[in-house]
Amino acid sequence: MNTSTRMVGDVAVVSLSGKLMGGPDADALRDIIKETLEKGTDKILMDIGGVSWVNSTGLGILIASHVTVTNAGGQLKLCRVNNRITQLFMVTQLQSVFETFDSEEEALKSFAAS
Amino acid sequence: MAEECKPSVLRVTIPSCLEWLGIIDKVCEEIALQLGLTEADANALAISVVEAGTNAIQHGHRLEKAQPVDFRFELTEERIEVEVRDRGPGFDVQKVLSWDPTSPEALLAPRGRGIFIMKNLMDEVSFRIVEGEGCWVNLTKQYVPTPS
Repeated sequence: MNTSTRMVGDVAVVSLSGKLMGGPDADALRDIIKETLEKGTDKILMDIGGVSWVNSTGLGILIASHVTVTNAGGQLKLCRVNNRITQLFMVTQLQSVFETFDSEEEALKSFAAS
Repeated sequence: MAEECKPSVLRVTIPSCLEWLGIIDKVCEEIALQLGLTEADANALAISVVEAGTNAIQHGHRLEKAQPVDFRFELTEERIEVEVRDRGPGFDVQKVLSWDPTSPEALLAPRGRGIFIMKNLMDEVSFRIVEGEGCWVNLTKQYVPTPS
């Protein structure tokens, strides 16, 4: 998994690409979330459009990120979720946990409105 | 696909490294393409087989790289049967099957979804554990080819 982070206004946009499947991915994402929160940014948008697939361990990593951000009083949203990951969210009912958007633009607007 | 080109059985063995599951994903993708699976069925196959491989590597072999994980794909006109074998000690099947990761108390649990996902995306899922030999997971997907 590869990551990059940039700020758009007061939202940290974390772009992920490759495979999200556990191992070092968990540490990498946990560190990014921790650093972002420590910098005082509690609005995080994960762009997972570049993620080709996620296994159940990868789902666990996304959930852990969501829990960390929510417990810190922030918001974590996802954008550009592909059909395969959407199918996985439906089966596991995680669509009720993650707020998802088709585009970064829509997601950023939702942060501004909230 | 020409009739004479259709394989009935494919076998792939990978070491116990999660990274190598990318090969298995590609095999599933190609099988789906060659057999004309719908996108939903293709995703279901790939997700489930990768999950079975993830379990074999993480739980069966505890990430011990030298341990091989065997995948066997049997293809017919209406069904795909996949067998995933590890050399681990197996697990408590009933306990795992009774776990519902969609229940309110488990929804945010960081793990415990693999077998639930397989059971919900495949038509049949079964397990065989033989002491000293390993664990076999069998996954079956019925399909109706999409018109080409």
